[in-house]
Amino acid sequence: MILVAENLSKSYRRVQAADNVSLRIDVGEVFGLLGPNGAGKTTVIKMISTLTHPDSGSVVIKGFDIRAQARQARSAFAVVPQENNLDGELSVVDNLRVYASLHRVATPRAAIDRIIAEFGIADKARVPVEKLSGGQKRRVMIARVMLTQPELILLDEPTLGLDPSFRRDIWNLITRIRRQGTAILLTTHYTDEAESLCDRVAIMSKGRIIHEDTPQNLITTAGSFVLETTDSNGQRDFRLFTSQEEINRSLIDRKDIEPYTVRAAKLEDIVANVEHNH
Amino acid sequence: MILNDFKAGAGAVLLREMLLLKVKLTRFGFVFYSLMSPLIYLAAFGFGFGSRISFDGVRYELFLVQGLISMTSMMNSYNLVMTSVSFGRLHNKSFQTIITSPTSPAAIMAGLILSGILRGLVAAAVIIGAGYLLFDVFVLSGFAAVALLLNLAFFSGLGVIVGLLIKDMESSAMIMNFFIMPMSFFSGTFFPVDNLPNAVKGVVYLFPLTHTNIIMRAQTLDGAVIVSGLILLAATLAVGTVGTCTMSNYSE
Repeated sequence: MILVAENLSKSYRRVQAADNVSLRIDVGEVFGLLGPNGAGKTTVIKMISTLTHPDSGSVVIKGFDIRAQARQARSAFAVVPQENNLDGELSVVDNLRVYASLHRVATPRAAIDRIIAEFGIADKARVPVEKLSGGQKRRVMIARVMLTQPELILLDEPTLGLDPSFRRDIWNLITRIRRQGTAILLTTHYTDEAESLCDRVAIMSKGRIIHEDTPQNLITTAGSFVLETTDSNGQRDFRLFTSQEEINRSLIDRKDIEPYTVRAAKLEDIVANVEHNH
Repeated sequence: MILNDFKAGAGAVLLREMLLLKVKLTRFGFVFYSLMSPLIYLAAFGFGFGSRISFDGVRYELFLVQGLISMTSMMNSYNLVMTSVSFGRLHNKSFQTIITSPTSPAAIMAGLILSGILRGLVAAAVIIGAGYLLFDVFVLSGFAAVALLLNLAFFSGLGVIVGLLIKDMESSAMIMNFFIMPMSFFSGTFFPVDNLPNAVKGVVYLFPLTHTNIIMRAQTLDGAVIVSGLILLAATLAVGTVGTCTMSNYSE
């Protein structure tokens, strides 16, 4: 296991941002934390990345406890936060230089040249970061953490606010990083992102992990079919079912649900169901 | 190994600060903003009172330049380090990159203090140059160098602590108005502390800048200079320690 987080809890004043969250991520695995805004995903990332001290619980990264052996743990992971945290006044290459220096990259110049070529940012290398678009900044942030070839990357909402072409671009980068054997903990509220990129997913709501499994197993367990209904007042609703027969049984004696549709369940339905029930 | 790590970490933090400073120095407004006030004080008080006043046989222009070196170095090191840390924490979030790196809190603290010292030295050099050009006074003695370095280290360290603790940029203005500004005027920058009423004098001797000015103007190594030196050294070590602990316990 590259990451073992156990019983992490954090509250801010009276708001329980994370409640007894436990995660285990294997080497090379892509693990998604899925949930709506305010579910506690960023708080979990901040606790794992040593930026926020948990009220209780523990985190061990590559065998190093993040409190007792913070520096060793920090050498094993890298963080790409939700907000741009590059130095806007500095050029792309200067941002890379500073990061390489902070992380003691053995041959910084060679590593920077490699990353610039690998991530296709040579034409932007001397440009101040503040002049880049949102998608380009995100690309540079991901490129920057790859300077150290970390064994675990914490990616907080990597495609938030990006247009579809940049989202696709970031997905491709994540897929490429994953092929290199780097484990990724990814938070997102886009279900298609989690479904497409993650080996396993944990669905969070109100600071707690409600379900955790592979995307396919989550769908199979919670119900592979969705019955979408509209009642006589025009109110739309949906329910998950494990089989077509179960749907048929539920429709007997219910004449007030016209029209209705039946379709295959998606991860989005499972998340919506969790939000609805919690 | 530990020492190498410390040096590399402090160097990395210093590199970032210097790259940022390099960009800022290309902006006229930044240089103007940092040095305009002390240069105006120097010109206004120097030309206004200069030749008419002397303290204990010391020309007022010399007294003023010595005081302004202390004040300007304090302002520049404190302000620039505090702004860098607080802005990096609260606004562009770039400070999080440093705090989540394998660099030790002590090395981060050292790097930031060094950056404050370098920035303050540049500001002090401008005042020394202006004093020489305008009033033909040249302040560069062993005592002045010690006073300047201790002053810069203390106020850079203080800048880190304040930068780490404030919740918003408005809080920094409050600290400036209630602590830094009174210290600038009452610690012997423009007139001797001895001219103040006894009650005020008691408070003024608690200000580190007062001790900087005592050492800055020293002619011989007497008891007062040694006491001021020890106070300033102890205060500098204290802010270094408190800053490192604050950095270690940093949590959002």
